[in-house]
Amino acid sequence: MAEAIGWLLDVYAEEDGIALWLLTDDDKRLCLHMDFDITFYAAGDFSLLRQAWIFLRDKEVRLERKVRHDLFLGERDVLAVTTSNPARIQKLFSELQRQFPSLDYYDADIPITLRFIAQTNTHLLGRCRVKLDDEWIENIEPLNSPWEIDPIPIPLRILTLTPDCNPVIRKPRSLKVQYQKNGYNLQLDSPRLFMIGLKADLKHIDPDLILTDYGDTWLFPQLSIWSEETGIELNPNRDENRPVMTRKADSYFAYGQVTYRGAQSYLFGRWHVDRKNAMSFGEYGLEGAMEQARVTGIGVQEMARKSPGAGITAMQMLTALRNDIMVPFQKQQVEGTKTLIELIRADHGGLIYQPLIGLHGNVAQIDFSSMYPAIMVKHNISPETIGKEDVLEGLVPKTLRPLLEKRLMLKNILSDLNPRDCRVEILKARAAALKWLLVVCFGYLGYKNARFGKIESHEAVTAMSRELMLQAKEVAEDMGFTVLHMYVDCLFVRQEGFQKPSDFAPLMNAIEEKTGIPIALEGVFKWVAFLASKRDARVPMTNQYFGAFQDGTLKYRGIELRRRDTTLWVRKIQLAALEILAQADTPEEFANRVPDVQVLVERAKRELRTGRVPLDELIVCQKLSRTLDGYVSPSPAARAGLQLQAQGRQIAPGQSMEFLFARNASGVHAWELEEVLDPGRLDTKRYFRLLDRAMRTVLDPCRPLLVPERLL
Amino acid sequence: MGRTVVTITQQLNETERMLSPFRRTLRRNDQYVFDGLFAAARRHIAAIGQEESLLPFESALLAMLLEQSKEIAVLQQKIEELIKKNG
Repeated sequence: MAEAIGWLLDVYAEEDGIALWLLTDDDKRLCLHMDFDITFYAAGDFSLLRQAWIFLRDKEVRLERKVRHDLFLGERDVLAVTTSNPARIQKLFSELQRQFPSLDYYDADIPITLRFIAQTNTHLLGRCRVKLDDEWIENIEPLNSPWEIDPIPIPLRILTLTPDCNPVIRKPRSLKVQYQKNGYNLQLDSPRLFMIGLKADLKHIDPDLILTDYGDTWLFPQLSIWSEETGIELNPNRDENRPVMTRKADSYFAYGQVTYRGAQSYLFGRWHVDRKNAMSFGEYGLEGAMEQARVTGIGVQEMARKSPGAGITAMQMLTALRNDIMVPFQKQQVEGTKTLIELIRADHGGLIYQPLIGLHGNVAQIDFSSMYPAIMVKHNISPETIGKEDVLEGLVPKTLRPLLEKRLMLKNILSDLNPRDCRVEILKARAAALKWLLVVCFGYLGYKNARFGKIESHEAVTAMSRELMLQAKEVAEDMGFTVLHMYVDCLFVRQEGFQKPSDFAPLMNAIEEKTGIPIALEGVFKWVAFLASKRDARVPMTNQYFGAFQDGTLKYRGIELRRRDTTLWVRKIQLAALEILAQADTPEEFANRVPDVQVLVERAKRELRTGRVPLDELIVCQKLSRTLDGYVSPSPAARAGLQLQAQGRQIAPGQSMEFLFARNASGVHAWELEEVLDPGRLDTKRYFRLLDRAMRTVLDPCRPLLVPERLL
Repeated sequence: MGRTVVTITQQLNETERMLSPFRRTLRRNDQYVFDGLFAAARRHIAAIGQEESLLPFESALLAMLLEQSKEIAVLQQKIEELIKKNG
């Protein structure tokens, strides 16, 4: 019997089992096959189950009566439906559900990779040993764990394809093809030559990952058009029996905003990731997406495009599969009944303590590390354990524990490394990818569609966090500190004479001892400014601050510099102003630097007035929150959208509109319009106002709070 | 959170809106002081939120009083320092 060792690259369903791609130690890419049965369950009224049995019995499935565990209802009598054709399960289940909509269904929509991982104990991108009979897997054995801190990196062949411009704005003329250190431009003027060239590259390089810009929205759809036009067949899949799998573009509402996701193209046997259509790619890149794939069991192609919520749901499914818990097809748990006062008591978020407005010197920022997940794990908060004493570890803490431990270990390694060490960037990306999974895990406890969610468990976490923050505040005050600001899981404290990080160590030890949750010192600010409302200087703004740490590093939250709709020009100047101010070592010195900032601002205005600022630095980017005809009085972004629509472009909610403020009838000029704006038509006054506002933010803190003369 | 029950910030905004005819009738100088009362309450939103009450405005009034007492205490201290300094 032959044997192969390597990394697990891809897994997907086939009619007679599953296909599995292995990247072997001797640099081969093996397409292997494996018999794989899939079971889903139906539960409910016995007479209905009997009818479902009759409906299914001539559909090439195995039917059994079993007793299986539901997380909330306990043991249930179920009808187990097993098929040896994983590619058929979706159709089979849809037919059954249509006929018997009132039955409860379980394990009906679990991704095939998760079933495979749960059954074989392997993981995506993980190393494994397979025993083979020709191309068929007889046995598969994992050689490492997804929780390994320093796994042997998978030696991917990465082919990067980038057009010379954004295809939405202009028709690209060439495609940059990059492999390892070699790159060249493939001209697009002759589709025939282009197709022949790209086909040859794909065959020659045989990449594991095709990394593109605009691959989803432009290149792959365009390849199939050119293929038809030229008659040259080009299948970018490694599995040549498969066509490219496409998903349509959509707009959806998540995390409080409408988001637009372009059409997507997925490959088999290799991956395709479009950097311009990958939701969290900007946060943690390929390393992060691969780390998420390792621990969640969702493929890299999907993980790069989906929200971390999909990842955490997958991890919960994996825990359920491994612990013989059925995964409900639809959420069944609704909010329990409460009196009004109980609701008022329960329906709270994290503790937000209004800051003391103004400039403060020698301020320490102390953060609880992954506070909410740590609470869930430490206090065993899970939808099925809520309100119960002395129960076994719940599904959610069981899922989170290894994730939390891995992230803390990565962070510890990072803190010991020299910032210039070549491993830092990769470790940072991996830690950030895990952080996002932990962050959304809490949200999913209260998410209305989460299968393992229950709002009471969500409320229990925030209640516990508020209590811990109050405990931390009391400990700090008992030790003579002033608490300047608290924001959900971090607090800002100061005390006269305390300035070195070690001065704050006793406080941190005391807080950690009292709360039982690990904490870390983010740093000690030389000075930090907590901002007031622009409308009324007496009202403090939460989580709006900027400051300089002792090493001169800046930290800023909630100011223009952090906002995506601020123009690059304003951001650059605000950052330059902060860098000038960061040279100040005390709040008193801060005021001395203000004249330098004023000089900077005057120079910047002069440059704009004389047309020396590139137009692309003046682009404002705003999202459309609704369809264009849904605006009563169109926002600037909507007016830009209308201009593009007039040129025949399709505009959907959630799309970002880029535009310039202009002196014309609509007040804006869409950046993607074919005609370029005459710089003389630029609305410079509007840009000055934006700049002045940003400058007020950074300079106001040194202005004393004056009672207006009019009062007297 | 705060999805079912309105937040304290929203409740304060709503109360301020309801009192807008009252505010409008005040003299301009007094309007500034009136706004200051709400600004004082907003400095204690966390504390008002912790109070599990059906009528959070009671706690908001308490927060306004607290800020005033604080201001009086600070002024008292300043007067005492001035008296000491000037004999």
